[in-house]
Amino acid sequence: MSDNILQNLFNPSPRGKIKWIFVLIIILAITASLIDFGDYYNKAVDKFKIPFPKVKEIPFRLGLDLLGGTQLTYQADVSAIAAADKGSAVEGVRDVIERRVNTFGVSEPNVQINRTTSGDYRIIVELAGIKDIKQAITMIGETPLLEFKEQNTEIRKITDEETKQLNDYNKAAEKRATEVLGKVISGGDFSALAKTYSEDAATKDRGGDLGWITEQSNSAIYNLASKIAVGKTSADLEKVSGGYEIIKVEDKQAKTDAFTKAEETQVKASHLLICWTGISNCESGLTKEQALEKITRLKEQATTANFKDLVKQNSTEPNARDTGGDLGWFAKDMMVKAFADAVFAQKVGAISGPVETEFGYHLIYKQDEKKIEELKVSHIFIKIKTEEDIIGKQSEWKNTELTGKNLKSAAVEFDSNSGSPEVALTFDDEGAKLFETITERNINKPVAIYLDGYAISVPTVNEKITGGKAVISGKFNITEAKLLAQRLNAGALPVPINLVNQQTVGASLGQQSVADSLKAGLIGFIIIALFMIVIYRLPGLMAVLALAVYSLLVFALFKIGFSMAALVLVGAFLIIGITVNGWFLVFAFLSYIVLYFIGGLAPVTLTLAGLAGAIVSVGMAVDANILIFARLREEIINGKPLSSALDDAFKRAWPSIRDSNFNTLITCLILIMFTTSAVKGFAVTLGLGVIISMFTAIFITRNFLSLIPPTWLEKRHALITSVKAPKPSDNE
Amino acid sequence: MTNFKIIQKRNIWLTISGILFAVFVAALFLWGFKYGIDFTGGSLLELTYEGQRPTVEQVESSLADLKLSSFIIQPVGEQDMLLKFQETMEETHQAILSRLANLAKQDNTTFLEQRFDSVGPSIGAELKVKSLWAIFFALIAMLIYITYAFRKVSRPVASWKYGLSAILAMFHDAVITMGVFAFLGHFYGVEINTPFVAALLTVIGYSIHDTIVVFDRIRENLPKSDLDFEGTVNVSLNQTIGRSLNTSMTVLLVLLSIIIFGGASIRTFALALAVGIFIGTYSSIFVAPPLLVIWEKWKK
Repeated sequence: MSDNILQNLFNPSPRGKIKWIFVLIIILAITASLIDFGDYYNKAVDKFKIPFPKVKEIPFRLGLDLLGGTQLTYQADVSAIAAADKGSAVEGVRDVIERRVNTFGVSEPNVQINRTTSGDYRIIVELAGIKDIKQAITMIGETPLLEFKEQNTEIRKITDEETKQLNDYNKAAEKRATEVLGKVISGGDFSALAKTYSEDAATKDRGGDLGWITEQSNSAIYNLASKIAVGKTSADLEKVSGGYEIIKVEDKQAKTDAFTKAEETQVKASHLLICWTGISNCESGLTKEQALEKITRLKEQATTANFKDLVKQNSTEPNARDTGGDLGWFAKDMMVKAFADAVFAQKVGAISGPVETEFGYHLIYKQDEKKIEELKVSHIFIKIKTEEDIIGKQSEWKNTELTGKNLKSAAVEFDSNSGSPEVALTFDDEGAKLFETITERNINKPVAIYLDGYAISVPTVNEKITGGKAVISGKFNITEAKLLAQRLNAGALPVPINLVNQQTVGASLGQQSVADSLKAGLIGFIIIALFMIVIYRLPGLMAVLALAVYSLLVFALFKIGFSMAALVLVGAFLIIGITVNGWFLVFAFLSYIVLYFIGGLAPVTLTLAGLAGAIVSVGMAVDANILIFARLREEIINGKPLSSALDDAFKRAWPSIRDSNFNTLITCLILIMFTTSAVKGFAVTLGLGVIISMFTAIFITRNFLSLIPPTWLEKRHALITSVKAPKPSDNE
Repeated sequence: MTNFKIIQKRNIWLTISGILFAVFVAALFLWGFKYGIDFTGGSLLELTYEGQRPTVEQVESSLADLKLSSFIIQPVGEQDMLLKFQETMEETHQAILSRLANLAKQDNTTFLEQRFDSVGPSIGAELKVKSLWAIFFALIAMLIYITYAFRKVSRPVASWKYGLSAILAMFHDAVITMGVFAFLGHFYGVEINTPFVAALLTVIGYSIHDTIVVFDRIRENLPKSDLDFEGTVNVSLNQTIGRSLNTSMTVLLVLLSIIIFGGASIRTFALALAVGIFIGTYSSIFVAPPLLVIWEKWKK
């Protein structure tokens, strides 16, 4: 028996070979189904206690339109960049953010540049599946801003005349503000006065309406307004930075969550932190187990009376000695999730057990809890001017063309003389050239390296530096130097960015669309199946089975991943495999597995456009079968016996399938190379679908048909076509 | 085997195509597209009402003084309302909410803000330019590929002319599909968004795909045919017409099921595809092959 199998394997007869291929196809289909329906399979194994191993569940990667997630909009501050370089600086920001988000393992981010009509550059970051806006913001916010500056030789000082103008203007402003306050107090219509006098362009037209504000959203005005009763206005002129405020409090309420409508609260608490080795900046020298042991011991001792002293003696938080671990008042979304969950759940006056977060173990003493108060406020704002308004912002330093965009890598090194740690920067080619010219024109002058807006190193240039290397020799310890190098390696921003908009996009709309579209796809599949079976009979049925394998394969590939390299390699081997020699199909399979292991694949992010591409490729798969079967009929009409008619049909239909699908693939390749976002997603799924469809519609359909003995089929002509016997005169 | 005289009546088909083409080009120039938020950027505000939902007219009149541009109000489902407009300022957002809150107070209802998206155009200038270049390169690549694939039938018509005919027919399909949407945009407010772009790209791909299948038959028949070029093309057309119609039928059936059962957001996409594929099938039979024949006659 085993002899027979071996013989079959190494030296198969034609029919034996067909059977082997059939078995391989079934194995492929089962593997694909396990990938597609891994979660259902595992549930079934659990439920029926079948002794089968479990499979790894790989989820679909859904785009923002299907899954929902977070969208953040940043404004890039390009004021310090020359007009010609603004575009490329913002592109640098996009690349850095994209890299940044990728290293944190966020599902395929969509980062777009957006130039607004007013000429502002914005970067839109879409993070599918991330509901925790705070986490996303921190992640991107940690991206360092790296700038290289040289001395500004054109600093302008304010003239005496300008100083006089400034003072005159501000006196007039104060007088104006006092007059308006008088009108308000004497009972004038606040809204009308705001429309006439307010110098806040954003709220002026709405009668000064600022909407609902909280201490968090607008602390300056909230602090003034909280002293005023509802319905009342400011009694005195309030001077704030930038001008004078006259405020009216319209209404007051407890803030509620926009989604759950539950009242939001804020908490006053202090905490004791014990970190362990491995957490950045932790110098406790404890292992995680020791840290837990220590904090459990402290918990036993802790009372509300001695908590502050325990913190001062034990907490590993920097400054704990001064602050006593006091966190003041905070809202839920201001703390990391594990911490917030614990403190908001516990009772006022209680001390929590150990709570684990990314910073270590905490004991939390909740001192108080209150509702967050929201005030509905209108204001009249009268501006005053500062020196900056007249002569513009004057800085000792000005930006050079060299920015964080040009950074290739960073590493920790040690100064050869003092042995103190430094961070060595390596620039890319463009950066190296820029650095050379910058150092050349600043010989014997200082050049400043700015990190996150602060000068961290201001060396004086001794000579022109070639080779594209610079050193930041600040006063770091090793841990700080390592951390900085790590942050810089994840990408450094060329210009500062500000978060201007953040929102969570619900998935409810998307889910409905997905469900509806999947249902539509399924109905479409059934219609195609019926159509194919009615028109093309037995071959039609085989084509439908092949189409089922196609669907399993395509969705499995969506989950595992795909790439440009895969498109080219697997595509080429499949085509050679179908046309020249079946062994090349093995290469197609192997090259895909190799790509998987060397990380040459990225999971396909499914968007609505992507799903559409997949559905369209089903049409193309069916088309290949229709071409073959139409040909089969013709061959039979022309009087060929069934088996050779089958051979010829596949052979003759191939050139048109090849050429038409090649054209689609060329389009897909070019779209993938040149475009982004939705169009690219569409091209990826369509291209993948076309390749797989060639394999299933030709190779698998043919294998299925060949399994049926030709002699058996010969007697049952009706299974293939109603045209029974070849009659040369028959014209229909 | 069918034997329709398609090529012989080519003037009829080309006239029909010419008229259709001219009409929809006129529609494109006259009305242009109704660009959606993907192109223009803007805001999207979704509200869920607890009690009685106000009517579209009520909402419209209460927000009239804000003079929102491209303002669209859509009731969604039973309790939801979708507002779209081009302004993206947070102030505008708050102004709308406070006005709607006043309106809701009168009716003794409340509403919940489900989401507020303020988006720049997701199809920015960058993607537009890139996509156009991509299409241009794709066309060149297709032309080269077809010229190469049909090199063995360079007589009586040069093989690059097969490519050019296919591309002309494709252009015809794309323009008519776009024209249909200019028409739908003008009379029914159908907007052009990202899925439409994807659909248009598919139509381009499908049109070429379909034409190549027909040309392939001509390529196969030419060397062994006793007929002249015109006759050979006609026979080839008759041989492939069944396949063309069947394929289009399956695709159209799927699209129909999407139009009827699919989600609202994918419906425009399916409609664009259906129109394009219908036209694409037509042009692969009635436009591209006749163009080839005319080209051959001209040479004489």
